[in-house]
Amino acid sequence: MQPLRIALAQTAPQLGALEANLERHRALLAEARAGGAGLVVFPELGLTGYLLQDLAAEVAMRLDDPRLATLAAETVGLSAVVSFVEESADHRLFIAAALLEDGAVHHVHRKVFLPTYGLFDERRFFAAGSLIRAVPSRLGVGVGLAVCEDFWHLAVPQLLALDGAQVLINVSSSPGRDVAAINEFGLGTATSWRTLMRAYAQMTTSYVVFVNRVGVDESISFWGGSEVIGPAGDTRFGAPLYDEGLYLVDVDLADLRRERIATPLLRDERPEIVLRQLERIVRERAGEVRDTTAEPGAEPGLDVAPAAGSAPLVRR
Amino acid sequence: MSAPLYELPEELRIDTAIARRITGEFIRGQLRQAGFERVVLGLSGGVDSALVAYLVTEAIGAEHLLCVLLPYASSSAASRSDAEEVVRRLGCASRLVTITAMVDAYFGAGAGEGALGADGPEATALRRGNFMARMRMAVLYDLSVVWGGLVAGTGNKTESLIGYTTLYGDNACAFNPIGDLYKSQVRQVAEAVGVPETIIVKAPSADLWPGQTDESEVGFSYADVDRLLYWMIDQRRSEEELAAKGFAPAFIERVARMVAGAEYKRQVPPIAKIGPRTAGLDYLYPRRRPGSARRSG
Repeated sequence: MQPLRIALAQTAPQLGALEANLERHRALLAEARAGGAGLVVFPELGLTGYLLQDLAAEVAMRLDDPRLATLAAETVGLSAVVSFVEESADHRLFIAAALLEDGAVHHVHRKVFLPTYGLFDERRFFAAGSLIRAVPSRLGVGVGLAVCEDFWHLAVPQLLALDGAQVLINVSSSPGRDVAAINEFGLGTATSWRTLMRAYAQMTTSYVVFVNRVGVDESISFWGGSEVIGPAGDTRFGAPLYDEGLYLVDVDLADLRRERIATPLLRDERPEIVLRQLERIVRERAGEVRDTTAEPGAEPGLDVAPAAGSAPLVRR
Repeated sequence: MSAPLYELPEELRIDTAIARRITGEFIRGQLRQAGFERVVLGLSGGVDSALVAYLVTEAIGAEHLLCVLLPYASSSAASRSDAEEVVRRLGCASRLVTITAMVDAYFGAGAGEGALGADGPEATALRRGNFMARMRMAVLYDLSVVWGGLVAGTGNKTESLIGYTTLYGDNACAFNPIGDLYKSQVRQVAEAVGVPETIIVKAPSADLWPGQTDESEVGFSYADVDRLLYWMIDQRRSEEELAAKGFAPAFIERVARMVAGAEYKRQVPPIAKIGPRTAGLDYLYPRRRPGSARRSG
C-alpha cells in the first residue's frame, strides 16, 4: 500500500481579485491538510480568474513574488498545484501551474497550447510555454503538470509519461457549452473531457487528476466535474458539475506498479520510432523534402494530390 | 402518453437541469460581480419573460425580484392576466406601469396631436412598436434605481438572430440568462421550471396590435426557423447542405439575409479609432472587475 489522499479544490475564483483568491487558497490548503491530504490541486488560473484580458498584466506574478512565497510556505509536508499568471524576466505573461512542495516552488509548467479559436482568445494575451517535462515529487512518484488545452494534444500526456510521470495533473478553466440532451452527460464539454481523461490514464497507465473550476466569468460558466482516474482508465472519483467544494479522494499509488506490470504499454513504447517519424513528417510538412508517402503533386501535409483536371493550388 | 405542449425539434432538445444550473450560476455571478442583490424585469405575459422570472426566482429567491407589467392601451387582457398569474405563483414584487400616456404624448391620440406634431398619428405600426419597446426600457431602467436591481434581459436566441427585436428597447438589459436559448428551448426549460402551460402553449406575440402573432408576422414557425438556425449557425452547415437536409432554398435565403441584416443589433456600436487605446479594440477589460462593483448600501 502506498496510500495518497488527493484534495481536488474545485473552486470559483474571483476575476482579477488576486488577494481574495490567495486567501481562499490558504484556507483550502489548511482544510485539506486537516483532512489528511498529501496532494492538493487547484484549477487553472485559480489565483486570478480566467477571462482576464488586459487585467492579465495587472495580476501577474514573478516567480520570486513574495505572495507566491507566502503561499508556498503553507505547503510544508504537502504537495500543492496552484495556477496563476506568471511574468517572466523579459515580461512575457504565461498561464502557469506550479507544484509547491515542502514550502517552496518546486516546478513550474507554462501552458504550451493556448487556444485562440471559438470563445478562446488566449494567444492574444499570453505567451506560450515550450517545455513539457515530468518532475520527481515528495509523493514518491513522478508528476507531470498540464494546463487545460495542453490535454487536447495527444503528445502531452505521452511525453509526460515517457519522462517519468506516474501522476498526470491537468488543471483547467473549461467553459461549459453545448448543453444537449444527446450528450452522455448532458454537456458536450464534460462528455469530451471524460473521454480524454480515461484514454490518457489507460494509455499511459498513470493516474490522471483533473481539476476544473466552477463559477462564472462574464458569459462563461465553468462546469467543474473534477476527476481522478486510475491507471487502468477506471474512474476513482468524479466531482459534481458546477458545485464548489474541496473533494478528498483516496488512491493507492501501488496500483501504478500493478497496472504497469500487467499492461506494460509504456515498456513497449518506441519513442525512437516516433521521433524518426516526427522528424520526417516535420520536414515534409515544411516542404523541405519531398513527401515520400504522398502522391505526386500533393501539397505539403497532404498525401492526396488534387483531382485530375483541377488547377494546382501553388505553382512551383 | 399525452400530446406534447409544443413542437420541439429533436436536435434542439437540451438537458434542462444543466441549463438551469448554468443560468442560476450566471444570474448569481452577474449580480455578485456588479454588487447587486436584486433583479427587475419587464413581464409581458409571454413565455420568454415568464421563464426569466422563474429562473431569477430559482437563482436568488422571489423576494429579490421585481416584475413590471407595462401594458399599452391596446395590449391584450390575456397577456396581463397571464403576467399576473406568474407574479401570483412566484410571490415576487410587481408594479403596473401603463405606458399609454407616454406613447400617446409623443404620437398623439385620437384627434389630439402629441409632441411629434401633425404627422404623429400617421406613424406606422413599426415605429409605434419600437417606441413602445423603448418606453418600456426607460421605465425598467428608472425602476431599477428605485428597486436597487439590475435589469434582466428576456430576449431569446431566435429573435436575436433574425433581428426580431428593438434596438435599445426589449434588447436593452444588464445581462440576459436566456439569450442563447432558441424559442423551442425556452419552452422546454419553461416547462421544466413550471411556467403555467397556458403561457407555454399560446402563440408568441409582440402584442403591438390585437391579434398579432410573431409567426404570422414573419411567415414561418419557430420550430422551423429554430431548426434552420441551429444547423446554419451552431452546426455551420452551408446553404447547399441545408437544402440537402430539406430546408426550402427560399426559406434558407430569407433567414440568412435576416441574420446578416441584424448583425448590428447584436454588437456594441463601433467607435472611430483615433487614440492609442480604444474601448473594445485594444482596451479590453472584463465588464466587471475589482473596483467596478457599485458600493453596497
